[in-house]
Amino acid sequence: MLVLTRRPGESIVVGSNIVVTVIEIKGGQVRIGIDAPREVDVYREEIYEQVRQENLRAVANADEIRKRVQNQAQQEPDD
Amino acid sequence: MDEAEQETLVEKALHFPDGLPGLPDQEHFVIVELREDGAFQQLQSLDNIDVSMIVCVPWMFFPDYAPVLSDIEQAELGLESADDAILFVPVSFDSESRQVFLNLLGPFVVNAKTKVGRQLVLTGTDYSTRTPIELPVS
Repeated sequence: MLVLTRRPGESIVVGSNIVVTVIEIKGGQVRIGIDAPREVDVYREEIYEQVRQENLRAVANADEIRKRVQNQAQQEPDD
Repeated sequence: MDEAEQETLVEKALHFPDGLPGLPDQEHFVIVELREDGAFQQLQSLDNIDVSMIVCVPWMFFPDYAPVLSDIEQAELGLESADDAILFVPVSFDSESRQVFLNLLGPFVVNAKTKVGRQLVLTGTDYSTRTPIELPVS
């Protein structure tokens, strides 16, 4: 991983058209501004990672889920 | 599979040009109905027969669910009105708790006319990837 030191107000350029700017550092948090082309998706990493992990889990469990949604009446009769 | 069947499959196929998060190579899918009441479907990859996930239309469980597409996402999908959009969400399962979940944070949106779609990662919402549901009796 490339590690760079930046002060508030300073930026990093990624490729030809993405600029990441450190806006403010306060109380252990960093505010970051991102200038990127509209077609570039920018996500908080943990949110994207949640969806990614959940997709893999959904695929791994597809057979089990299919059985459950198809046989619900037989598997869990009303009592 | 004969040629006519293959053509039907291609006509019905959904195209996700970017793949899915975690499954970047899966671009082409078909929807297979799993129940007579239309409550659940299987999103089956045509790129890898072993890859599929169960999906459902979320409003049966969460009538107030209202994901917002950005202008960019709408433009990318060529969506002119909400009526052109097909929306469904992944169904997941925890084998320890036996709980079934809907992923409301990562809905699929497909343009019904072009069959082009993508999985969104919603921002600025409280929706969860693991919203528990009780399965309706078929």
